[in-house]
Amino acid sequence: MSDETPRLHSIAAFRRGYEEEGRLLGFRSACGFVTATWALVCPRCGQRDLTEAELQRTGRLVAFTVQTVPSDEFLNEAPYAYALVDLDGGGRVTGWIPGVAEEAELSVGERVQFVPSYKPGVQFARVPSGGSPT
Amino acid sequence: MRETWVVGAATNRYGKMAETGREAATRVALEALDVSGIDPKRIGYTFVSNAFGVAERQAHLGPLINTALGLPDVPSATIESACSSSSAGLHEAFVHVAGGFLDAALVVGVEKLSHLDTLAATSYFAMGADSAFETRNGATFPGLYATLAHAHRQKYGTTSEQLGAVAVKNHANGAKNPHAHFQKEISLETYLRSPVIASPLRLYDCCPFSDGAAAVVVAAREMVGAPSAEPLVIRASARSGSVAEMQDRPDLTGLPATRTAASAAFRQAGVGPEKIDFTEVHDCFTIAEVMALEDLGFYPKGRAAAAGAAGETSLQGKLPVNPSGGLKAKGHPVSATGAGQVVEIFEQFNRRAGARQVPKTEWALAHNVGATGGSCSVHIFSHR
Repeated sequence: MSDETPRLHSIAAFRRGYEEEGRLLGFRSACGFVTATWALVCPRCGQRDLTEAELQRTGRLVAFTVQTVPSDEFLNEAPYAYALVDLDGGGRVTGWIPGVAEEAELSVGERVQFVPSYKPGVQFARVPSGGSPT
Repeated sequence: MRETWVVGAATNRYGKMAETGREAATRVALEALDVSGIDPKRIGYTFVSNAFGVAERQAHLGPLINTALGLPDVPSATIESACSSSSAGLHEAFVHVAGGFLDAALVVGVEKLSHLDTLAATSYFAMGADSAFETRNGATFPGLYATLAHAHRQKYGTTSEQLGAVAVKNHANGAKNPHAHFQKEISLETYLRSPVIASPLRLYDCCPFSDGAAAVVVAAREMVGAPSAEPLVIRASARSGSVAEMQDRPDLTGLPATRTAASAAFRQAGVGPEKIDFTEVHDCFTIAEVMALEDLGFYPKGRAAAAGAAGETSLQGKLPVNPSGGLKAKGHPVSATGAGQVVEIFEQFNRRAGARQVPKTEWALAHNVGATGGSCSVHIFSHR
């Protein structure tokens, strides 16, 4: 890995993945743990042999909240959901789902898909059963 | 290890301070020194917490406080651990005094954010979370605890009425505390009518942004003559941590750092949760009080919310929780909060808590969390 072009082992690479390349990046540990956050050593088992991984774009909602009061970067987006998503193939990632006004619009276990966007962070959309994202 | 006491404690009224953080911190520090009766010249170190001092364009507060206290040659350092900053400062003071490196130390926490608008204050609060992987993905600070509340409800059926009972109880306690930010009771109806901020959390689930300052004086027993107030014996001072981002924790219904800090603290103190007469816990949101009571071992997982709604945690209940009003009603001046909890326990031990005085004050526990549990302090105190 060149020092001048850090790819996955930089937070900037994660961000480029979400916001420019349409990729969800992460690390896979020898213990089987997959993280979608930045680390040099596995936070679960403490071993150093993390390998770079591109994570799948689809998954299921684990827990979520509908935020009516946004943070400054999301000033014009409220209300929207902030969610924890278990990706197919491993790894739990956080992201936001635009256009959700009521908690009852979403349910735990519901399928969602990563939608590359010019907007900040990891954006998800609901996947209607059998269909493509809304 | 030397027996170590809290010999003095003081706070100002939380809410909105006209004066700067530096002035408020110095004022409460002087008051705590006066309460302690200790010669200020015995102070060997000042541990200052002021996590958001940059909001006042002031860092390096220690020398300013020490100079204004007439102690310019006393060393100082700033201890930052988000919302658990000044309990981390207390831990540092304990380690140094109990270990024999210092005879006495001053712990001061202060925060002032009221000159910022709500959006800016919200952004400051969120800085304790992971800016790249949580905030950047849309989380606000209430949103992170709301996600935990959602997971807790999924697993244990925790209801809005049960969360509301925490808010109602803490406001009732705060109404009896002249230092509280909110000194008014609220009804469950008021709670249920308040707007949703981050589902399932409503406005009245959330602690306020408060200004405030608190200070405690810590000293080795052997250097205190006749204490001028009833001291708190520090029976345990434990800190722990959790995986910073909650998505990478196996369980979302509690804070791992609370569990590990509590078990270390109870081991140090040589007692269990059943020994504790009352507690100040970190209720930045109502769900945080519920999770704390479970993670600390006072209730099995999934039981604390119902027990609170049944009155067990009120001033007259079997375990009074947050007699001060907690972060919810007393207020949450981030870096003052941990020291402020100890001030409440000091007042209770000295039977000076007025209408919010709890009946039994032999043993007490203070629990203070940094952000969503990346850091946590648990202190256990008893009488001499």
